[in-house]
Amino acid sequence: MTLTLLDWIIIAVYVFACMAAGLWMRRYLRDVEDFTIAGREVHTNLAIASLAATEFGLVTVMYTAQLGYEKGFAGATIGVIMAAAFLLVGYTGFVIQPLRNAGVLTIPELFEKRFSKRVRWLAGVFVALGGLLNMGIFLRLGGDFFVYATGMPPSWLEPVMTILLGLLVLYTVFGGMLSVLVTDYLQFIVMGLGIVVTSVLVIWKTGWGDIIGTLQAAWAGTGPTKLAADPFNPFHPSSFGWGYIVWQVIFQIAVVTTWQTTITRVLATKDSATAKRMYRRTSFYFVGRFLLPGLWGVAAFVWFSQHGGLPADLNSSTAMPHFLGRLLPVGLLGLVVAAMIAAEMTTISGYMLTWATVIYNDIIMPCLKKPLSKKGQLLLTRVILFGIAIFLLFYGLWYKMPGNAWDYLAVTGNIYLASVFTLLVAGLYWPRANCYGAYAALILGAVGPLTFLVVNACVTKEQQIAPEIAGAASFGLAFLGMILGSLLTTAPAKTAAPAANPA
Amino acid sequence: MKDPFIIFWAVMLFASIVWYAFLVVYIGIKAGRELRTLIRDLSAQVKAADAARK
Repeated sequence: MTLTLLDWIIIAVYVFACMAAGLWMRRYLRDVEDFTIAGREVHTNLAIASLAATEFGLVTVMYTAQLGYEKGFAGATIGVIMAAAFLLVGYTGFVIQPLRNAGVLTIPELFEKRFSKRVRWLAGVFVALGGLLNMGIFLRLGGDFFVYATGMPPSWLEPVMTILLGLLVLYTVFGGMLSVLVTDYLQFIVMGLGIVVTSVLVIWKTGWGDIIGTLQAAWAGTGPTKLAADPFNPFHPSSFGWGYIVWQVIFQIAVVTTWQTTITRVLATKDSATAKRMYRRTSFYFVGRFLLPGLWGVAAFVWFSQHGGLPADLNSSTAMPHFLGRLLPVGLLGLVVAAMIAAEMTTISGYMLTWATVIYNDIIMPCLKKPLSKKGQLLLTRVILFGIAIFLLFYGLWYKMPGNAWDYLAVTGNIYLASVFTLLVAGLYWPRANCYGAYAALILGAVGPLTFLVVNACVTKEQQIAPEIAGAASFGLAFLGMILGSLLTTAPAKTAAPAANPA
Repeated sequence: MKDPFIIFWAVMLFASIVWYAFLVVYIGIKAGRELRTLIRDLSAQVKAADAARK
């Protein structure tokens, strides 16, 4: 075991503080709106802390470090694209401004106002399906980090995952978004400190010159370990290449305008100006989100190539936690593991709450003939949260990813991103869009990613579909479906104005 | 170090470390104040609701 008593004390104190703070917020809950979007009382800086904490999960650390290990610094290109997308939307208010002004709880709710109740329901199904499949691997990747960073026996992975999930379910089920906000704030501080200190230490102990020199030698084939991708140039065909980058530009614009966990923060802000400000001020954060854990992955590659190569029981995903477990001194390792627990808890609790809100608000509520009482609504949302936790536990235990973690996340996210992004853009900015176009976009947008998941799980590696093909095809098909579906059928009545006022 | 991509990633990396350190302190203080205000407002609303019920 790599952890000492001091490390364990730091972790225990942190987890206890988080739990206590989360449970304490329960007293302020009045209704579902408090539970899901904190009564829309959130100001800019708290929104930034919450968004940053939720979007920087342990799963993020794992897949960005894996990208760093396999593709060097070029792996962080996605973070640069994402930051540019946040900045663009933060300045223009593209989609988020009319969406916030519409005063809805979720994106599918807007679709009912703009298209029809059935479109809302179908969109809710795709949003929940894509979202749940997407977060299905969070626990497994998080568990891998703990096992390899702390030196725990691998057989402890499942019990550790279960206990961690149990703790965060407890405070999320009781306190909802209010608890998530408080714990997000605590986790933003601890996680931020852990990331900065670890990054400085990684550069200091590995040496900047050594990092660059080893990467250059590995790419040139003159070092002890060979690197298959250009570690600096993302446009090189051995790295992402142009096709992948073009897909990522579209994908990231869709993410920042459509991804429900991000949009939940937009909807929780006081007004659209606050939402735009939050986007602008958070934008550069997303460069570091990919680049700093990417640096840890790069340093792990450098360390293993200088120490006889990667052992057989490790891979590009587990190399980084194993490396950190050896690099960090007593006390700091405890802080970093606590920071990563923080990252895991904020992301999973934020995501669970988001998907539970969608299932409650857009899949179940439209089917009820009689509206539930306030108590009934809260109870139902809590039961859904609990159900998601059970799903996470079992799916996370048995699913084996066909490729690297980032590609899995991008493609499962694409199940709904492509179609919902199309519906949002068309619904808010194209008066001719109608519900037939919306159905066509929803179904066609999900075809590419679902085919990717099913086919790639069944065929050999050489026959697998490239993620950028599946991803780009889903955007193309969704837009095509919307345009053809709307143009070939009756135009919507002129009174059916867009739900949102883009003012 | 003459490769423009290496210079780009070096600038991005060190800027990210500085930005994260700044955010932790700046947003940490400001968001802490906002959180305190939020809790105070919510507390007042709960008290008002309790009083109205009585």
